This record gives sequence, structure tokens and C-alpha cells, in this order.
Amino acid sequence: MSTTLNVVTSQEYKYGFVTDIEADSVAPGLNEDVIRFISAKKGEPEWLLEFRLKAFRHWLTMTEPEWAKVDYPRPDFQKIVYYSAPKAKVAKYASMDEVDPELLRTFEKLGVPINEQASLAGVAVDVVFDSVSVTTTYKEKLAAVGIIFCSFSEAVKEHPELVRKYLGSVVPAADNFYAALNSAVFTDGSFVFIPKGVACPMDLSTYFRINNKESGQFERTLIVAEEGASVSYLEGCTAPQFDTNQLHAAVVELVALDNASIKYSTVQNWYAGDKNGVGGIFNFVTKRGLCKGKGSRISWTQVETGSAITWKYPSCVLLGDDSIGEFYSVALTNHKQQADTGTKMVHIGKNTKSTIISKGISAGDSSNSYRGLVKVQPKAEGARNFSQCDSMLIGQTCSASTFPYIEVQNRSARVEHEATTSKIGEEQLFYFQQRGIPAEEAISMIINGFCKDVFRELPMEFAVEATKLLSLKLEGSVG
Amino acid sequence: MSTMVAGAAFAADLLSGPRPAEWKELREAAEARLAGRELPTMHEEDWKYLDLKPLAALRFGPAPKVAADISGRLLPEMVGTRQVFVNGRHASHASCTSAVPAGVRFFPLSAASEACHALGSVGAGDPRNLFEDLNAARFEDGAVILVPKNMKAALPLHLLFITSAEAPVAVFPRLLVVLERGSELELVEEHHGEGAYLTAPVIEIRVAEGAVLRHERVQRDSMEAFHLGTLRAEVAKGGQYHSRTLSFGARLSRQQPWLRLAEGVEASLDGLALLDGTQVADTHSFIHHAEPHSQSHQLHKCIVDGRARAIFNGQIRVAPRAQGTDAKQQSRNLLLSETARVDTKPQLEIYADDVKCSHGAAVGQLDPEELFYMQSRGLNADDARNLLTYGFAADVIAHVPVASLRRALRQLVMARTQASTLGDLS
Repeated sequence: MSTTLNVVTSQEYKYGFVTDIEADSVAPGLNEDVIRFISAKKGEPEWLLEFRLKAFRHWLTMTEPEWAKVDYPRPDFQKIVYYSAPKAKVAKYASMDEVDPELLRTFEKLGVPINEQASLAGVAVDVVFDSVSVTTTYKEKLAAVGIIFCSFSEAVKEHPELVRKYLGSVVPAADNFYAALNSAVFTDGSFVFIPKGVACPMDLSTYFRINNKESGQFERTLIVAEEGASVSYLEGCTAPQFDTNQLHAAVVELVALDNASIKYSTVQNWYAGDKNGVGGIFNFVTKRGLCKGKGSRISWTQVETGSAITWKYPSCVLLGDDSIGEFYSVALTNHKQQADTGTKMVHIGKNTKSTIISKGISAGDSSNSYRGLVKVQPKAEGARNFSQCDSMLIGQTCSASTFPYIEVQNRSARVEHEATTSKIGEEQLFYFQQRGIPAEEAISMIINGFCKDVFRELPMEFAVEATKLLSLKLEGSVG
Repeated sequence: MSTMVAGAAFAADLLSGPRPAEWKELREAAEARLAGRELPTMHEEDWKYLDLKPLAALRFGPAPKVAADISGRLLPEMVGTRQVFVNGRHASHASCTSAVPAGVRFFPLSAASEACHALGSVGAGDPRNLFEDLNAARFEDGAVILVPKNMKAALPLHLLFITSAEAPVAVFPRLLVVLERGSELELVEEHHGEGAYLTAPVIEIRVAEGAVLRHERVQRDSMEAFHLGTLRAEVAKGGQYHSRTLSFGARLSRQQPWLRLAEGVEASLDGLALLDGTQVADTHSFIHHAEPHSQSHQLHKCIVDGRARAIFNGQIRVAPRAQGTDAKQQSRNLLLSETARVDTKPQLEIYADDVKCSHGAAVGQLDPEELFYMQSRGLNADDARNLLTYGFAADVIAHVPVASLRRALRQLVMARTQASTLGDLS
């Protein structure tokens, strides 16, 4: 390997700054009192407190999952701050001017189009800053067609019947270790409800940001699309640079009724730790969509570039006949990052279809694994799955693994899985350079070509961002 | 919990009998590992799809000495190059080594101690499974094959392991194959049996630099049998190891091949499982590309009918220094009934960047277009289906080098796929 294949990394984390806002926090540690505190602080109804306590009691009996191909110091759950809210100078903002300017500057640095940019970009942003949702735009426009898009806490207050009906219906409180923890201590998140027959007129978007040092983030997102409704939801993440590992254990639940369609796109760029693997976010997320109705469709698209440890399997439960599940993923790891990510497609209904396209890129000393499950249950007549998992290795000290689990219990099912491994070779780079394209640009082009099948599933602004992000992340790895 | 207790009792039961005196160290080490060991449960990732409860439910005693009729088991090419083991013991009356090429050593373990210090050393350091340790602790006899330097054995060797039991018995066949530098050998290993029994064979193979071993493995155990086999092969620089495992019998079977490939090695590890009734067949392979420029090809096919289950877990690991590795793995499965089930998990673990690795898995039924084509050529629906099913299996056995075995296997597959009504397709 020549010098060309040895340079591009070391770009400093662009979003590593700390906003100084006095936090309103609970002491570190986790017990029933902390949960009661969170629930009381948020003025929650009794049933939700019960939901939390039940989850917590179950969590106490569970052990951390060991099966993923990741190695990290186990978090000390008693050292985590489970509640911290940025203190607002005014309780409710009449206009953007009243929002803490410090906060606005943060978002500006992040490039969140919250002011005029928001309207220019045509994006409604529900901003989660640490744990409390601060501001929501475009609410009225959405309300006009009956769409509810608000913070989770607000939904609990304004639409308790909807929250109660769907919360935990896709990811039960005791689903897994981190989902149970989330169910016990989640502080906020987003809630989306698209009523019958409504096509959401714009992409909905949330930016998450972890701010308070040692405050784990436990978001809860719930998206419900009623019969014939459709929505495209965007989630993007960045976080400040810290040395202590930060735990992020979110739960995202999607419910699609008859002929409804939900498209969920993520660009994840949390702090991945430095070159030596110090610091970085632990991203242990449970994302699952339930295609509950006939002909419903749920599509996950993710571009995972950040986090020290990623443990994430956005899944689809294809319950309704003729429902469709899709998973498009690009996962890039560099330096000491470790990612174990993939999906689960559970075919229950007849003529259900699923597609999995996963592209893993590993560079530096990183470890990148695809882990997926395709399960065809006995009654899933005519189920169809196609999976394609490709890995690309850059350098000689990284690793790429593929662990597809395929379980078929219906003979009319057709399940196909393919995986390949390739590298960016000297020869390819030489060819590009010979045609007058510099190495850096060549790498970007090769990576883009490699990820094309996923990028074209992303909403346009995300696709542009994702392309840039990958090039940025690989600077120094090849070159 | 009850399974685990039964599991602990399971190993203890099998170890309660007398221990053969030879290979004391090997046996003691295995026994030490087995102490307190429980039968694996489906909670363990390695045993996720295979339920061993039916095995725990039976009590296996030591196998009695019996004589077995092998007349229908002989293959004309290998009449004079056969060793037969019945219930884990060498059957000298049934064996015949008159045609074994001069220089090739082919004898029962009990007959000689030469080279046997190598027993238990292939793949040492790798975590062992319970059944491999049970074998090491209790095997009574086995076969040793030594092929000297640059010797290209003119005739294939035939190994027959036969188990015959009225009450449930446990047998532990053992095989050690050592090919010295530049030598070549074809080996046919067959397992047959009657009645309910557990057979847990352990096969160790060492292929030295530039040597070539072709290994045909046929499992035709009784439909009441449990077959839990381990194979370990280390292939040195430039060597070749090609194996084909054809599974027809046993109510529950598991094959655990483990291969370590050195520089420039060519290996293939093909398999075919034909399953019906309530049969369960599991293949758990591990191919370790430890050094640069080795090639491995794996094609594993399962045809699953009735309430049968096929399991495949194939792992390929490419070590950091194994640049230039070329690894291909295919798991292809045909489901013939409403209640058949397939769980497949091809895995790649890659630590080197300049490699060509791919794997694929497919589960499905016969292609309706192919069926239509057959019918358009005048075959009725049943014949078309049977012929295509036979065709699915046939490409695995098409290259079996021993003609009589190939013919026998074809007939067996034709009978099992009901394609025999179409006449002789071989």
C-alpha cells in the first residue's frame, strides 16, 4: 500500500463545542425515586408512571446483551444523569427572539435551519436540546391538515389517548435491555400522528443533540400513520466532544395502518471518540416499525458515520398482508469505531416483501458488522426478501463482518441474500488519476458509487449532506 | 433448567463406563474439560437452532460387540482398500487391505502406536465442543491413514463405520489422516447403521505442503440415530483439501468441519442434505484463511421435505495477514413442504483488505417457470417437480470421483426425490 492509500483522516470533530446553559438536573443515579421525579417533573398521568416503573422493574432483572461484535467498557448506570432540562428564561416562546440566544447560536453552528432557513428549506424542525423540546415550527400548517407533530411530552399532555394506545405497541417495555431502560427513563422525543388519508405536505425533521456532560439521552419517538396516510421523517444527529462516554439509548416506534407509508431517514454523526478511541457516544438504539395494516409500507434509510459504539437494528414487522419493509443503510467506521448494525424483517402476513441494502465501509482500526435477520413465519405465504450486504475495507487494520440470519418456515417464500467484500485499490485510484481525477476526489467518487443504492433513497438535502459527510469522515484514511 | 441438569447427567452417564487405557493424556484433558459440562441449549449462539432435548431424553449405554453384514456396502473400486469399524471397534474379518498401495499406511489405531502421538493435535487451541471431548475421552478404536512424501495413491481408500444397536448405544469413531508433502489421496468415508444410537465421530486431517486430499463423506445413519461429527483439517502451504459431505440419514445430525488454510491453499467444502419426516440436519462450518492467497469454495445445498429442518451456519474468517484471499460461500435451500423449515446463517469475518469474499444464501421452492418449461416439453407436473428436485441435488454429486459411489448416490437421490420413475438419469 503506497502513501496514496495511507493519509486521509484526522479531521477534527467540527461540532465539538459545549453550550453553557444552566441545567436543571437530577443527581446521577437510577432508582424508582428518579423515575418518579422525571414523571412528576413532566406532569405525567399515572398510567405513564406505571409504564415507566414496570419497565424499570423488568430492566433490573435483565442483563446487557453480549452477542454483538463490539467491545466497550460497560456503562455505570448509577453514574448517569437521567434528567436535565435547559433552563428557559421564558416558559413559552411567542417568537424565535425569545429563545435563549445561546441556544440559537448552537443551532446556528450546527447548521440547523431554524429561523428563516427553516422556511427556506421547507423543513419543520422539532428540536430536542438535551431532553426538552424547545421549539416547533410549521405546527399550524401541519395542524390545518390534522397532523400532530410535537414533542413527546406535549403529546402526553395534549393527546394522551393516542400516546397510550400506541406507546410500547411496537417495542414493548421489556423488549430488550436498552429499550427497557429507555421505557423507564425517557425524557422527551417526538410524536407524529398523520390522520387517515393525509399525505404529509413536507418532510418532518428532528435534530437531536446531547449537551449536558454525562447526561445520557433517552429519546422516545412515536410515529403513527393512519389508513392511507404517508409521511417522510428525517432525523439528524451531532454531539459535542467529550472524553467520558455518553450513552444514548433511544426507542423509535413506527405504526403504519392499512396502505399507510412511513419513510424514516437518519444521518447519524455523533462524536465518535478521538483517534485513540477515547470518548465518543455509545449508540444503543431500538428502532422498529410495525406494518400493521394491509398494503402498508415502512422504509428505513440510515447513514451511520458517528458514535464510538453503534448497536442498532431498525426493523420491520410485516404483519399486514401485502405490506412492504425496506432497509437502506450506509455505515462508515473509522479509527477505533465499532458498529454492529443491520435490520430485522419479520414476515408474518401474506405476500409481504422486504428489501435490505446494506453498505459497510471500514477504515482505520475500526470494526464494522452487518447483522440482520430475515424471518418468514409459517403463515407468510408468498413472502419475498432480497438482501444485499456489501463491505468495503480501507486499510489493513480494520475489519468487516456479515452475520445474516435467515429463518424460513414457509415453502412459498423466496429469500435471497448476497454479500461481497471489496476494497479501494491502488489500481482503481491509479486509473482515476490517469484520467486526471485527483485521489481524494476519486475516493469520494468510488464511495459514492458504492453507496449509490442507499443515497438515492435519501431525501435530497440529506443525500447531499451524506455525501459530504462520508468524504469528510474518510479524509486521511486514503489518499 | 431441567435440560441443563439432564445435559450434565448426559456427559456423566457416557463417562461412567470404563476408560480405555491408551492416550491417557488426551483422555484426561478431555475429561477435565467435560467435568460439569452441560449439554448446550438453544440459548447458546452456536446451538441457536438445534434443539438437543431429544438427545438428552435418551440414555445411551456402551455398544456391544456385534458382527455386521457389509455385503451390500462394498464398492468395486475399493474392495481391497477398506477398513470396517462396527460399533466403534475394528472389524478385521470385514476389512481388507490387500490392494492398499505399497507405502500407504492404513490401519486401525488399536493395531499400532506410530503417528498416534498426533492424535488430538489438529486444531489444538481452538475451543472444543462437548461431543469432540466425549469422543476423545471414550473412543475405543479408529483408523489411521498415512501417505508418505510424494506418493500419489493409485486407489481410493474406503472407510466404513457401521453401528448396530438394539438398545440405545453411543459410539465414538475416530480417524486420523496425515498426508505428507506432495502426496495425494482419495478417501471415501461412510457411516451406516441400524437402530437408535449416538455417533460422535472425530476426524483429524493434516495435509502437508503441496499434498492433495479428496474426501467424500456419506452419512447414511439410521433414521433413529444422532450423528454429531467433528472434522478438523489443517492444510499447509500449497496444499489442497476438497471435501463433500452428503447427509441422508439420522433423525438429528450436526457436522462441524473446521479448516485452517495456510498460504496458497485450495479448499472446497461442499455439502448436500436430503431431509424428510422430522429429520434435523445442522452444518456448522468454520473456514479460517490464516495466511495469504488461499482459496475456499463452499456450496451447501439442502432439500427439505415433510416436517424436516435444515440448519446451516457457515463462518469464514480472513485473518489480518491473509491478503489475496478468495472465498466463496453459497447456501442454497429448497423447501418442498408446507411444514419444512430452513435456518441459514452464512457469515463473513474479514480482517484484511485485499480480498475477494462473497457469500450468498437462497431459500425457496422450485421456479414456476422452470416447472412450466418442463411441462411444455411433455412432462407431467409431478415428474417435472421431481426432475428439477433431482437436478438441484445432482450438481453436488456429479463430481464424486469414484464411479460406483457416484452411481449409488445418484440412485439414492433419485429414489428420495422420486425421480427414479423417469428412468436412469445417470
